[in-house]
Amino acid sequence: MTPISSATAGDRFGRRGFLTSAALGGATIVGASALGALDADAAFAAPAPSLDPAVTETSFVEGRIGAIRGGLLTAASSEGETHRVQLTNATSIWKARPTTADAIEVGDGLYARGVPMPDGSIAADAVWVNIVNLHTTIRGIHRDRFYLSHGNHELVGRTIPETAASYAGGALTSDLSRLRIGQAAQVLGAWRPADDSIDVVRVTVGH
Amino acid sequence: MLTLTANLLPPLLGALLLWTGAAKLTSRRLRAQTARTALPRLVRGPGRAVLVLRATAAAEVLLAAGLLAAPGAAAPAVGAALLGAGFLGYLGYARVVAPDSSCGCTASDNAPITWHSFARAGFVAGAGAGALTADEAWWTAVGDRPAAAVALLLAGAAALAYLSDGPEGRGRVRLRRLRLRLFGSPLGGPAGGDGTVPVEASVELLERSLAWETVSSLVRSGLVEHWEEDGWRILHYTGARHDGERDRPVSVLFALDAGAHLDRAGGQVIRVSVVDQETAEVLTGDLVEAAAGPPRPPLPLAG
Repeated sequence: MTPISSATAGDRFGRRGFLTSAALGGATIVGASALGALDADAAFAAPAPSLDPAVTETSFVEGRIGAIRGGLLTAASSEGETHRVQLTNATSIWKARPTTADAIEVGDGLYARGVPMPDGSIAADAVWVNIVNLHTTIRGIHRDRFYLSHGNHELVGRTIPETAASYAGGALTSDLSRLRIGQAAQVLGAWRPADDSIDVVRVTVGH
Repeated sequence: MLTLTANLLPPLLGALLLWTGAAKLTSRRLRAQTARTALPRLVRGPGRAVLVLRATAAAEVLLAAGLLAAPGAAAPAVGAALLGAGFLGYLGYARVVAPDSSCGCTASDNAPITWHSFARAGFVAGAGAGALTADEAWWTAVGDRPAAAVALLLAGAAALAYLSDGPEGRGRVRLRRLRLRLFGSPLGGPAGGDGTVPVEASVELLERSLAWETVSSLVRSGLVEHWEEDGWRILHYTGARHDGERDRPVSVLFALDAGAHLDRAGGQVIRVSVVDQETAEVLTGDLVEAAAGPPRPPLPLAG
């Protein structure tokens, strides 16, 4: 990661200060989980307001990044197509955690959501780098990693500061000590091409 | 010590061959097991593959009986060495033509071929050759130096059990479980202990909330950044609002209790703000109302 110069850091904190005051002065909505979009009650609710027309054109692409030129990523999809994905200032980039375009490397896997442009490229509003979502079995637990089997393959899942676990549908917690060997675990994380391991972001067990 | 090792090779090798041979001979699921190996491709047909496996099992039992009962005889040792060499060739072939296939060595494993399988086949070949150099029967060797012999036999049996267990063996899993029970889980809670709520949990809570439902039509990105301030966790998304002809980029900000998560009883407050990225103007009021649409009608209730 490149060090942040003091001027940049100052700008960032100034900007964050402004955004914080904006956020805390915003409209207040009470009852976070009372009427959620996934709640059963939502089925009875009035139809949702029509979405912006751009949303209907949203497309998803996936592939392996072959070249990075400025903010333009070229990715070869598993079906043999080549996609060009344009990053913008508003693109959110995920690689185990929210990050910046500097973290994207040639050879990474790419999953992007965006709007098709007239020149055939995709203007991305969100890019997930190396994201994997696997149904596995926990085979071993060590201090900073666990061993998983996925089909016939053995995988190493590394824990990172963001690693969170959900036990039997409960809320996400950073307490991983209730994971058990032999448990079936759904693992969401970021694949590391260098050593074929996975940085585990979320592990869900007990479902 | 070398002589003692050579004298103890026949019982070790015999026990291993007896176990693998008997397991294959008595298996009721041999046909299904065979289908997971590379053998049907090698001998062109699943029926023949089962026959080959049964014949190999019978040969293993015969060789084991010879090694255990007549350790001085050359034939069982030579046979075991040839069998080991055959296993090595077969494993090499299987690794090339069907890398994900199972070894089929013990009739009960489904694990793919790894270095464990090669090491065990190498042991069979090497021990067969080594057994030729034995100069006395193994029971005599055990009688002469019982402590050293028992220690060697136990070490050899443990090594063979390790190789036979495969990478995902039940024995290995039991050992790991025991280690966790004795020493506790090394993956403890967060450093500092205490109910730090992961950002993921805040995002999960947010994305199931009325606040998210209200402004989700504006949001165009995943989480861009997040930070904490005075017990609030601020989550920043980017979005777009329709302004005449074009979309203008906005920041959509949510502020929620940094300690809140789905399991905590309701009543959490989520604050929503929308800020124009170009003019830094706070647009929340009208925009949230417009995005939320008309007020919901009350739900019809029975009675």
